[in-house]
Amino acid sequence: MRITQYLTSKLKNFSNLPKEYIERSKKQVYWKTPREINYLPRTVERKRFRYTTNRSWTGQFRQQNMPATMRKKVFVEPVEDWSFFRGDRIEVLVGKDKGKQGLITQVIPERNWVIVEGINWHYRRVGADKEFPGITIKSEAPLHVTKDIRLADPSDLQGTEFEWRFTEEGEKVRVSLRSGRIIPIPETNNQTHDYKTPNAYIEREKDTPAAVVSEITFQPKLSTFEMDIMEEMDIKEERTPAKSYWY
Amino acid sequence: MSSTLIKCFNLAKTVGTVTFKSLLTTSQNQLPAWRPAVVGGVLKCGLHTTQCARQERKEPLMEFFDNPKHWSENEVKVGRAWKLDELRIKSNKDLHQLWYILLKERNMLYTMEHECNDKMEIFPNPERIDKVKISMENLETVVRERNKAYHLLETGETGERPQKLVHNAFGLRCTYRSCEHVLPPFMNTKWIKSRHLGFGGRAVHKFLLQYREKLYNAKRKAKNRSRNEVMMILRRNPNFDLELLKRKFPDVEIDKLRHSDKARGHFVPKVDG
Repeated sequence: MRITQYLTSKLKNFSNLPKEYIERSKKQVYWKTPREINYLPRTVERKRFRYTTNRSWTGQFRQQNMPATMRKKVFVEPVEDWSFFRGDRIEVLVGKDKGKQGLITQVIPERNWVIVEGINWHYRRVGADKEFPGITIKSEAPLHVTKDIRLADPSDLQGTEFEWRFTEEGEKVRVSLRSGRIIPIPETNNQTHDYKTPNAYIEREKDTPAAVVSEITFQPKLSTFEMDIMEEMDIKEERTPAKSYWY
Repeated sequence: MSSTLIKCFNLAKTVGTVTFKSLLTTSQNQLPAWRPAVVGGVLKCGLHTTQCARQERKEPLMEFFDNPKHWSENEVKVGRAWKLDELRIKSNKDLHQLWYILLKERNMLYTMEHECNDKMEIFPNPERIDKVKISMENLETVVRERNKAYHLLETGETGERPQKLVHNAFGLRCTYRSCEHVLPPFMNTKWIKSRHLGFGGRAVHKFLLQYREKLYNAKRKAKNRSRNEVMMILRRNPNFDLELLKRKFPDVEIDKLRHSDKARGHFVPKVDG
């Protein structure tokens, strides 16, 4: 159990999209060898992407990573365990909002960023035109997890350093170094675009109900899949196959 | 064996209206105590094959399209894909039906995607394709597992298509997947001629030399890249945790790099007073 906990990050994917889709949606294949015998399977595709607050399956991301454009590399330092989750109360250590506290609304692990509600914001003007001055909107800039913020201790709501430790039950938890209290991972972390809690998910037209999914219909039987299906459909095979060789 | 399989699949098309739908609708009213996020991609549409669809609908080709009420929508929400563990508890019959449901759904999604692209419209929730794909892959894995277990128990072999690593005409290692032949190998002169390609020639030797150099260069570049990465990280963060860096980049000699000129950042010296 410890090993699996150690390997898997506790960060939940808010978009709830399968990994395959995320990979597929950002793919930019410039050239691919034809599937012929005289070609080795090779692809020329974009390897380096600039990750920003735009998520990689959106049109804005594609616009920022247009084919045949290169941007300077961003060095992202590796993080051991991701420790900042949606809904966490954090204290800001830098900038104009230094000392203020807020709740994390968005996490961008590709850049070690978090976006905090009402913190580090600026006005942004969108839709400006020759005749129209545009609309001013408030937008929050991301904060760096290793340099710009620290967690707030739930016991006294003051900023604190913390450590990942294991409880007696073998669960991995964050522990405040000042007060020794466990800083629980907020429930907001488990919310996704599709549901707030798994129990609150509304089943749609094409979903299989949970009761049907969990129903056990498998009966162990000494037959292959094909034999079982043939038996079920009353297909009798009397012909004996001719002798053949596999090589 | 293969003929029975084909027969089986052909017959599958003529399965009547015994569908997952009937199986599904029964338990729909009694809401389960726990509801996973999900479930299912796409199960409920039931197994309509072309034949039975013809009986029900006037336009069987419209089976390739989504329900018209979804056409103008921006979002068509569905649950997640089927997991391996959920498929393992299902009977062969259920898996068989589910396969065709998923196949139909995949056809529908590809058709809709093509049609939306054609009409310059947004195809809502394209991740549905991936969800169906994952489900189908998982389903195939489960069926394979069952067949493998049977064959191992009965014959001591997996029953999978045999394959082995061989050198091809260029001297590169590749997997050769065996085929079924009527003749034994020693009689099959055509096969013998096609397989026994020597690769000891000068041209192949030269090719291999250069090919291996290319592979070596790729490896060397990757090593240099990670070395540069470490240096740049150290340059930007002089107090970075070295143990963590060592764990993340095991082949880079970090202690050596620490004092290199490139890893040293530019810092304005502090002047007192």
